[in-house]
Amino acid sequence: MEKKYPRIVFRKRLQKLRDYVEKMGKTALIAYRNSLKAFTEYDEELVKEVIQSSEEIERMNYNLEHKTMSIIAAEQPVASDLRFIEAALKVGSHFQRMGGLASNIAEVARHIKGEKIPERPMNDITHMADIVESMISKSISAFVNQDMSIARGLHRDDDKVDDLFDIALKDITKSMFDEKDAIYYMIYLLFVARFLERIADRAESIGDRTIFMITCEKP
Amino acid sequence: MDRIEVQDLNVYFDDLHVLKDVNLNIKNNMVTALIGPSGCGKSTFIRTLNRMNDLIDTFHKTGTVLLDEEDIYDPKVDVVDLRKRVGMVFQKPNPFPKSIFDNVAYGLQIHGITDKRMLKEKVEESLKAAALWDEVKNKLDKSAMGLSGGQQQRLCIARTIAVEPEVILMDEPCSALDPISTTKIEDLIHRLKRDYTIIIVTHNMQQATRVSKCTAFFLNGEIIESGSTDKIFIEPCDQRTEDYITGRFG
Repeated sequence: MEKKYPRIVFRKRLQKLRDYVEKMGKTALIAYRNSLKAFTEYDEELVKEVIQSSEEIERMNYNLEHKTMSIIAAEQPVASDLRFIEAALKVGSHFQRMGGLASNIAEVARHIKGEKIPERPMNDITHMADIVESMISKSISAFVNQDMSIARGLHRDDDKVDDLFDIALKDITKSMFDEKDAIYYMIYLLFVARFLERIADRAESIGDRTIFMITCEKP
Repeated sequence: MDRIEVQDLNVYFDDLHVLKDVNLNIKNNMVTALIGPSGCGKSTFIRTLNRMNDLIDTFHKTGTVLLDEEDIYDPKVDVVDLRKRVGMVFQKPNPFPKSIFDNVAYGLQIHGITDKRMLKEKVEESLKAAALWDEVKNKLDKSAMGLSGGQQQRLCIARTIAVEPEVILMDEPCSALDPISTTKIEDLIHRLKRDYTIIIVTHNMQQATRVSKCTAFFLNGEIIESGSTDKIFIEPCDQRTEDYITGRFG
């Protein structure tokens, strides 16, 4: 069958929506990277920058909602177009939460500045952080390129992060027992581990939305 | 329960093969929408269901159309009686140039009802069922031609249901109407489905999703896909359905 592809304006609007969600994802990724940098080598300017980025992503999410409502009202999409728009809305809100969690990590930096973090818990956090960073990148790519294989891989990555979180929890608890004076800032370390684990959950959810968008099935 | 069963239906006008191996079951007390690009055979299909195509000399068909398990093309079938059982509402409202009352009473009189009191009751009942009574009850003797397009279309629906059909065929009933009149007809369809089996041809995808429970997609005389309206408009199985409903071809 010859395809004529009318509705050129509609197709362009969908492409712009996809670009916008990608931009939100990239902004969240940069905020995340900066938050970790601020965490490991405290820099107040960087902390402020992460908080601003988080607010920017929140604004972008409102814009995304307006854009999607406008497309739905004007174009009345169905089938794969409707599923894409629904997924874009949900993915946008996952990126918004990632930005918020990055901001939380950056704020922790203010509380632990100058403290000497024990090596083992720090290594656990660093290891988790590396996997989480790659998960954010993969979640962007899975959604933007509608890539099922990358989307499915996010489940495995999330399992790794969950395992590392359990290890970090044990190591942080042990450090608390070893050095009671360190409890104050070790609690913040525990928060960071928790924030990382939550970001990984969000990335996994983006993978799930991508699979649902493509197959209409719960992963 | 299936009210209509269409089996291996092929329709020709002379050598032109218009419907090809169509199989479709229409469920009782449910709205079924037929969608597809212009010229795909939707209207020919519904006109086959009340033998309106018989009026065209070049029409011939193979396959069977069962209404309540009886072949409507059986030579013993009385076509006038069939069209009473399977009523039709057309794209453009086509009231008779008579009074509002006479428009609705006409079909009843043809079918032998002459008692004035009974006629009055039936006309009122039909106009109420078509959600038109309140707007016309004080001017029943006025010409139907003075009604608005939306009112005329509801009058045609009242005229159709006056003779108590089992099935109502609607061929793009809202395409000539404004949005408010369209909403009224759609609300009416929702009410009528309790008592009637409705088949509606529509070019308006959103209307199909709003009013129907089942949808069949026609293309080049074939049914490409049929089933639950939700499934077809959210997760169609066939790429051609997807391409049509998302506007990738017209």
